[in-house]
Amino acid sequence: MQQQMRDPTEKGNGRGGQKELEEQVLRAGLCTGCGACVNLCPYQAIHHDRTVTLHACDLAQGRCYTCCPRTPADLDDLRRKLYEEMDCTPELGAVKGFFVARAADEGVRRGAQHGGTVTTLVTLALREGLIDAAVLAGEGEGLLPHSVTITDAEVAAKMGKSRFVVSPTVAEFNRICRGDAAKIGVVATPCQALALAKMRTQPVSEVENGIEKLHLVVGLFCGWALSWQKLAALLKAKTELDQVTGMDIPPSRYHTLEVYTRGETIRVSLDEVNPCVREACHSCDDMTAEFSDLSVGSARLPEGWEASRSWNQVIVRTQRGMDLLELARHRGVLEFREPSRGNLEKLKAASLGKKKAAAGRSYAQRDSVERTGQAG
Amino acid sequence: MALDREQKEGAEVLLMGNEAIARGALEAGVRVAAGYPGTPSSEIIETLSRFSEAGKLYVEWSTNEKVAMEVAAAASFAGLRSLCVMKQNGVNVASDFLLHLAGSGTRGGMILVTCDDPGALSSVNEGESRHFARLMEIPLIEPADFQEAKEMTRWAFDLSEQIRNVVMVRSVTRMSHASGNIVLGTLPALKGKAEFLCDGPVSDPERGPVISAPVIAKHRLQQEKLRKATALFEESPFNAYSGPEKPELLIITSSACTLYSREAVSLLRAEGRAGILKLGTTWPLPPALLKRHLRRTQKVLIVEEVLPFLEDQVKILAAEQAREIGIKTFYGKNDGALPTVGELNPDLVAAAVGRILGIDPPAIPAEYGDKLRRLTEFLPKRDQTFCPGCPHRASYWGIREALQRDNRGGFVCGDIGCYAMAVLFQAAGFHTAKTLHAMGSGAGIASGFGKLGPFGMTQPVLAVCGDSTFYHAAIPALINAVHQRADITFIVLDNSGTAMTGFQSHPGLDVNAMGEAAPMVDIAALCGAMGVPVTIGDPFELIETRETLNRLLEEPGVKVLILKQSCALSPEKKGKKRFLVRVDDTLCRGEACGCNRLCTRIFRCPGLLWNRERKRAEIDEVICAGCGFCAGICPAGAIRSEEAAKP
Repeated sequence: MQQQMRDPTEKGNGRGGQKELEEQVLRAGLCTGCGACVNLCPYQAIHHDRTVTLHACDLAQGRCYTCCPRTPADLDDLRRKLYEEMDCTPELGAVKGFFVARAADEGVRRGAQHGGTVTTLVTLALREGLIDAAVLAGEGEGLLPHSVTITDAEVAAKMGKSRFVVSPTVAEFNRICRGDAAKIGVVATPCQALALAKMRTQPVSEVENGIEKLHLVVGLFCGWALSWQKLAALLKAKTELDQVTGMDIPPSRYHTLEVYTRGETIRVSLDEVNPCVREACHSCDDMTAEFSDLSVGSARLPEGWEASRSWNQVIVRTQRGMDLLELARHRGVLEFREPSRGNLEKLKAASLGKKKAAAGRSYAQRDSVERTGQAG
Repeated sequence: MALDREQKEGAEVLLMGNEAIARGALEAGVRVAAGYPGTPSSEIIETLSRFSEAGKLYVEWSTNEKVAMEVAAAASFAGLRSLCVMKQNGVNVASDFLLHLAGSGTRGGMILVTCDDPGALSSVNEGESRHFARLMEIPLIEPADFQEAKEMTRWAFDLSEQIRNVVMVRSVTRMSHASGNIVLGTLPALKGKAEFLCDGPVSDPERGPVISAPVIAKHRLQQEKLRKATALFEESPFNAYSGPEKPELLIITSSACTLYSREAVSLLRAEGRAGILKLGTTWPLPPALLKRHLRRTQKVLIVEEVLPFLEDQVKILAAEQAREIGIKTFYGKNDGALPTVGELNPDLVAAAVGRILGIDPPAIPAEYGDKLRRLTEFLPKRDQTFCPGCPHRASYWGIREALQRDNRGGFVCGDIGCYAMAVLFQAAGFHTAKTLHAMGSGAGIASGFGKLGPFGMTQPVLAVCGDSTFYHAAIPALINAVHQRADITFIVLDNSGTAMTGFQSHPGLDVNAMGEAAPMVDIAALCGAMGVPVTIGDPFELIETRETLNRLLEEPGVKVLILKQSCALSPEKKGKKRFLVRVDDTLCRGEACGCNRLCTRIFRCPGLLWNRERKRAEIDEVICAGCGFCAGICPAGAIRSEEAAKP
C-alpha cells in the first residue's frame, strides 16, 4: 500500500477486471479474503476463507477489481473524501478522539472478547434505529467463522468474540445490499473497511450497488488473520476443533496464542502460529482499520494484561462515530476511563511498526519467488 | 423405408447398409445376435431385435463386446448360427476372447460384424479392425455396396461352417449409414435344436470340448482352415475386375473405396486407361486371382482408407510372384499418393489417379463455389455441445464449481459417452475434463493418478463414467482403485440409458433389447458392495451437488457419487417440459458487470439465446427442454421457471 500511495495511477489507473484481479491479487498471494469481489457477480466465490474464481469474466473493468482493498488506489483521495483533513494523522489515519472504554454491562463483557465495546455499540445502533442490519463475523464450524447479518439487537449482543480467521464480511454486505435493509452497519477488519471505503468513493458501473445503504463501519484492530487450513491443521494436532471456545493473544512479551477449550487453556507459541498467518497479511499496513467510523481494539493498561482484558481502546474517526460513542455514554451502556499517559503514542508507534514491516515486505516481495498461489 | 416383416422375397427395398447386413443374417437363419452399441454399428442389433422371437431369434445388448462375442460363440458351440456386432474399438475389447475362439474354432456358423469409422466421424480414434483378421488368423470379407452387404453377410455364415471358424465381416461408416436399393432373398425355415455336444475327445471338432489347446495342433488346424478359405476366395464372386484388358493403371480396392475409385475414374474420363479390381475377400488374399490381375499392367494403385493393409498384402504377393508377373510400380500409402489418416473420397482418389496418369482433375466450376458460399452463409453456427436440458451440462457445471472452489487444480478423467464432449470441446465441460481414452479408462487412469500423492501430486482426481460405460468396463478399474486405496472421486453420470448411440438398453434398465422385462443391476448397490461410500444426487440440484463434491474431494480413498437424471432425449422426457422458462427483461443484466452474459457466454445451453439488438438473454422456446437448471445460475434471478401444467 505504500507503493499505492506513491503512485495511484500505476497499473491501469486503478481500473481492471477479473484478469487483473487474478494476476495482481489472487495469484500474487495478496487476497485478504474480505469478500469485496464476491456476490457482485457469479464469477467469484468464497470457499472456506479463500476467494476463488468460478468462471472467466472478460470484462475490461469490474467492481471486483476496483473494490478490492489490494488493488491500487489513491488513499489520500479516499481520506479527503471521507474524513476531515485536520483529523488525519500519518500513523493512525483520522483521529477525532481516543478513548478507553468498556461495556457497562458485565454480562456483555463476559460474552465478548475484551471490553465488549463493539458488541455494545452495534447493539445500541440497532436498538436506536441508527442501523437496521449489522453484518458481523459469526461463529461457524471448525474455527471457520461465517459472516452473518443480524437485525435483532439481542442476538447481536451475544456475538462478541474475536475471530482469528477472516470471514467474507464484505460479500455478505454485497448480498444484503440487494435486500430490504435500508441502513446497514458493518463490523470490519482493516481490509474490509478499506474495501467499503473504495466502494463509497469509486463508482464503477451504472449497476446499482447499494453502497448508500452503508451507515456505519465499526473497525477492528488487526495484526493479522490466520489461514483457516493451516490453523485447523495446527490445532487438530493439539485438540478437537469443536472443543475450542475462543482464542486470544496476550501482549507481545508472552509470545503466545491462547486457545480456550472446554477443558483447559492451550498455549501455542507464536513461532508455531506465525507460519499460519495469511500471506496477504504480511503486506498489510493498516493495524487500526483507518477507513472506519470508529475503530476498536484491545487495551494496554499499566495494571497489566489481566486488567487490560476487560477494556478496549477506541479511535473515533468521523462525526457519525463520535455521535454513536456519545450516545453510548449518554445511555450509560459504555463506561470510560482516562487513557494512561503515552497510550496513544504507543499505539501510533505500533501502527507505524506495521506500516514499516509492510513496506519492507513489499520491497522484498518484488524479488521474492516465494508464493503460495492463491490467498492461502 | 426400414426393413420389416411384410417385405417379400424378390422385393426391391431401400435399406441402410446396417439393415442390409441384418437382412443378410436373417436370410442366413441367424438364431442368436449379440452386440454392444457403438456408432456406426448399432442399427444391426436394433434391426434384428425387431425380428426377435422366442425360440427363433434371440437378440441382446451385452454389457460389452467381449461378452457379446462370448454369447454368440456359445450359440455356435450349440450348433446355432450366430452373429456378434461391434464398432472398431469393440474388436479391441473382444480381441482377447477372439484369439482363443479363433484357436478353438466354431460349430454353427458364426460371424463377427465390425463397423469401422475411418475419419473418426463418431469415434475418438480411427482404429482398424482389418488388422485383427490377420493377427487372429481368421478370414475377412468386405462388402462394397448395399446388395453385397446383404449377400456377403449371408455367405459368411456358410463360409464359417465350411471352415469351422469365425468369419469377420467388415463395414465402414459410409457403408453402414448410407442407403441403397436391395433385392431381398428368402428367409429360411428355422430349425435345429440348441445342444452343446461335449462328450467326445478334444480332437473331435463335432463332440469334443471347445478349447484352443493343444495349442500347436489347434493352431496348425486353424491355419489349414485359413488356407481352405483362401481357396474358396479364389473363386469368390465378390472379387471382380472391370476395365480394359491391359489398363495403364490397375486400381486395387475394397469396401466403400470401390465406389470412390469408380467415381474418380469416371470423373477423369479414364475408363479406357484405368481398370479396377474390387476385392471382397481381403484376408487372406487369393494369390492366383491377384497374379492374374497383376499381370495386366505395370502400374498398380491400392486405394484403401487409413493404413496400408491391402497394399502390404498385395506387395507381398507381387514380390513372391515377381518372376512370373514382372516388377511393378506401386502407388498408395507408402509413396504418399493417398493419405494414411482420415476418410478417402472421390476427389482424393481422382487426384491420385490423375497424378499417375497425367490427367488434371476437372476444376470445380467457379459458380459452384459461389453457390456453396451463398448457401453456407445461411447455416447457423452451432457449438458442438450437449443438448438443451442435458443433465451432463448440469453435472459438469457442478463439478466446475466444486473444483474451482477446491482450488487445488483438480481435474476430471473423461470416458466414452455423450459426456466425452466435455473433453473434446472444453467449453462444453467448462474446462474440467482432461483425459479421454477407451471405455472404462477414465476410472483406470484416475486409479493411477490417485496413487501419485506420495510423488507430490496434490490435485484432486475425478473420473466420470456413464451408466452403460459403468457396466461395460469401469467396474474392474473401480475395484482396482478401491483395493489399491487410490484417492479418487468416481462420478457415475447416470442418464438411464445408452444415450449416445440411441438409447439402447443396458443392465441398469428394466427392459432388454427385445423389449422384455429384465432385472436391473443396481449401480449404487454394486459400488456399495465394494465397501466405499456411495452418494446419490441429482445434477439439477446444483448447490447440493457442489457441496457434496467439495466434501468428497477432501476425503481420502475412493468415493462414489451417482448423479442420476434421465437424458433429455429419453422416451419418458422427450417433448415434455417440466418447467416453462422465460427471461424477465427488467432483471436481465446482460453485458454489465454483475453478470456479463453468464448464461449465453459461459453456460451456453443451446436453449438460451443472446439477442444482440435488445442486449438481453432469451429462451428459445422451440428447443428449450424445460429442465429449469439455468434459472438457478442467473445471478439476477432474471431466468424464471414455473412448473409446467401436467398434460
